[in-house]
Amino acid sequence: MTVRRIIVEPRGLASLRLTLTVPLLSVLAALIIGGIFLWITGDNPLTVYGHMVDAAFGSSRGVSETLISATPLILTGLAAAIAFKMLVWNIGAEGQFLLGAIVAAGIAIAMGDGVPAVLAIPVVIMAGAIGGALWAAVSAVPRVYLGTNEIITTLMLNFIALNLMNYLIFGSNSPWRDPLVSTFPTGRPIPDGASLPRFFNRLDVGIFIAIAVAIFAWYLVNRTRWGFEVRVVGDSAETARYAGIQVPRKILGVFLISGAFAGLAGALFVAGPVGALDPRSLDLGLGFTGIIVAALARLNALAVIPVAILMGALNNAGPSLQSIGVPPEIVTMLQGAILIFAVGGEFFIANRLRRPELPPEVLAGEAAA
Amino acid sequence: MSDSTETLTVDLRDIHKQFYGVKANEGVNFQLRPGEVHALLGENGAGKSTLCSILAGLYRPDAGEMIIEGEPVVFKSPKDALAAGIGMVYQHFRLVPNLTVAENLALGHHNLGVMVDQKDLQRDATQLGERYGLPVDPTARIWQLSVGEQQRVEILKLLYRDAKVLILDEPTAVLTPQESQSLFSTMRQLTDEGRSVIFVSHKLHEVKQVSDRVSVMRQGQMVGEIDTADAEPKDLARMMVGRDLELPTRAEDDSTGQPMLVVRDLRVPGDRGLESVKGVSFEVRSGEVVGVAGVSGNGQRELAYGLVGLRRPTSGSVTLDGVDVTEENVLEHIRQGLAYIPQNRLGMGLSPGLTTEDNLGLKAFREAPYSKGRQLVPAAFKSRGKDLIEQYDIRGVVPGLPIRLLSGGNLQKALLAREVEMQPKILIARSPTRGLDVGATEAVRNSILRERSRGTGVLLMSEDLDELLALSDRLIVLYEGEIVGELTARMATAERLGLLMAGQRDEVAP
Ligand SMILES: Nc1ncnc2c1ncn2[C@@H]1O[C@H](COP(=O)(O)OP(=O)(O)O)[C@@H](O)[C@H]1O
Ligand SMILES: [Mg+2]
Repeated sequence: MTVRRIIVEPRGLASLRLTLTVPLLSVLAALIIGGIFLWITGDNPLTVYGHMVDAAFGSSRGVSETLISATPLILTGLAAAIAFKMLVWNIGAEGQFLLGAIVAAGIAIAMGDGVPAVLAIPVVIMAGAIGGALWAAVSAVPRVYLGTNEIITTLMLNFIALNLMNYLIFGSNSPWRDPLVSTFPTGRPIPDGASLPRFFNRLDVGIFIAIAVAIFAWYLVNRTRWGFEVRVVGDSAETARYAGIQVPRKILGVFLISGAFAGLAGALFVAGPVGALDPRSLDLGLGFTGIIVAALARLNALAVIPVAILMGALNNAGPSLQSIGVPPEIVTMLQGAILIFAVGGEFFIANRLRRPELPPEVLAGEAAA
Repeated sequence: MSDSTETLTVDLRDIHKQFYGVKANEGVNFQLRPGEVHALLGENGAGKSTLCSILAGLYRPDAGEMIIEGEPVVFKSPKDALAAGIGMVYQHFRLVPNLTVAENLALGHHNLGVMVDQKDLQRDATQLGERYGLPVDPTARIWQLSVGEQQRVEILKLLYRDAKVLILDEPTAVLTPQESQSLFSTMRQLTDEGRSVIFVSHKLHEVKQVSDRVSVMRQGQMVGEIDTADAEPKDLARMMVGRDLELPTRAEDDSTGQPMLVVRDLRVPGDRGLESVKGVSFEVRSGEVVGVAGVSGNGQRELAYGLVGLRRPTSGSVTLDGVDVTEENVLEHIRQGLAYIPQNRLGMGLSPGLTTEDNLGLKAFREAPYSKGRQLVPAAFKSRGKDLIEQYDIRGVVPGLPIRLLSGGNLQKALLAREVEMQPKILIARSPTRGLDVGATEAVRNSILRERSRGTGVLLMSEDLDELLALSDRLIVLYEGEIVGELTARMATAERLGLLMAGQRDEVAP
């Protein structure tokens, strides 16, 4: 009597092709589901998708807007990727992003018009990164030295950051608020000297900074001694201690760098496309979308770049759908579906299905039977 | 004596089983007669557990026939196997930690309804335990029991279901020598009642002592079956490993080396703050192996942690080659030439998700050639890794794959390779051959003795008395955090050590 069935078993190492195919298939599957949804609600999916592609990539304006949306996502994606790799569950990129924006805008406004751009821009960018890192430190220090749960603290600090920004603009006459607009409060414009130079429609140099940071992050993790120690700690803290690695210091470092990346995203956003601490333009959930980016990029710093561009394209295409009468929420739905399929796809990267291989004599016996 | 008309209890024919490309069982035949203790011998990874799990219904074979008492069967789950009278005690126990012994016995028993009388259950458990020499407290919860006691519960669970065939997968791996002996008499009693026992082991002397017949497996295949009475240990070893073994030989002790490790009145706290090491003093000189004997839990772990910098001693001193490192962190101990083989290979000694090459560089990565300033040199990890893998015969490495996929023996070879490569002045090893098969044990012991001849001071902490006696120049015995005896190799015998380990201070002066 012979027993045969399909077996699920772990793969040792997935091939590069497979690691690439699975995320692409997840995106495709999400598009199909979205298409069915559109079809049921009476739209032609092909028309809608065609419109989206056109909006995101069909014109020089579309391309530049897509890259503008991608810039902060690259950085918040990196913030999540580097932290999650180390099992530090920093889901506070949202708040760290806002703090980066607040500090960067504050410094830019305080410096005023007198400071030359070569000085002002680096200062503003650094300030944003430091702001994000300090906001992360509020969760990181108790996590490392007291063992508090960083998921809860980072999440709560997101709300505090959001309220802080709203207070600065809507609730007070702070220096961040534009004194010239009284009817509907908004942020005071960043001085020209501190604004990022544009080179292609509205696209500014922030995209290059984000890409450079992604490459730097990859190098840091994979090619430095510090990165090696971080990988050991992320894999097994006991082993790291055994090997003489200072575990608390590494976790703290990763947490702060993660916060700095998110804060940098906030700085580039206010010094770039938004140009002021404007709550309506900043409260977009870019920190949370970064988590989707990191997951789809499988926590690889370089893969974060194309994934962020894809998500940026979706964000950018959403509003234009209104012109053809399709709710822009379809984009949020697609992003959610992509995440679900990507997480499901992980299963096929990690495992494979096969029928048991049988020795020839058994197969011959079966054929005879 | 076997008579050819007698029905076999179990007859496995041409069993095949693969785990992602690994042929765990490849055309295995296995026969079990009624009333025998049948030993299944083989190195780690030979496929013993797989074969047993197939017989117990946990795995289904890819191909092959299973005939029980003359009837072909297909087991869909361990329940089916139990219904056919076959039960297994797995290497990793499957009890519910929060339930009592009695509740665990009842769990999943088809004859019992929802309402079970606790008193009846407890009485049954006690009676069964007494009858088979497996005493346990039926009201104790599983997590309160020692590993040995948990094993008894596992066996009782099978007897409660009246299993006719009991499969014990490496039961002695977790037992003290005394507990093993009592298990053997239980096994005898079971076979006297007409039950059969499959006894899995890779320890030759146990197999020789307790079994009627032996089947030997190697690399997924059955390589032979003989009556135990006709089996020479040397031949069994050769069948198991596929070649002759070089048994470790220790050169005579000259004992003139420099003291490399000096420990004075060391006190180290335990996990719950109580003192676990209570003022121990000893020395390890260059070129000598000092064995530390003791029943586990008598301060060995804390002593090791205190010596390597993982736990700060409360008082006393640790000196490595003349440098006081008592207050220093782990890294400073490593820099002073201390190598450490922890008991927990994958959880502490190796980083399971990193590659073998990365793990081989885990102690030396701070210096050339592994790094240049703050930068890592990936090429150095690759080439040094390749050299060490070859030199230390670490098998099964696929570049880029995490080290956790290697077998226990190869993990230990990798760990040892890395520690020995740093040319340590002191090597501290805890149970370095635990769970390893004879081939890997031989490699590890020979490495330790090579270190000794190179002039390293070795502190060997082990629960395996044979190992301690074979390798040590001197022995100290730990009991409740104190040294209760110190013996030279010539004075030490298993009996004497056993008495000291039980806390009886040595009356006979060495
Ligand atoms: N569940 C499993 N998944 C993958 N590989 C396995 C599994 N069980 C066993 N193997 C592999 O099959 C081989 C035989 O293992 P096993 O039967 O456990 O050997 P033994 O009990 O003799 O040490 C080993 O190479 C082992 O790695
Ligand atoms: Mg096994």
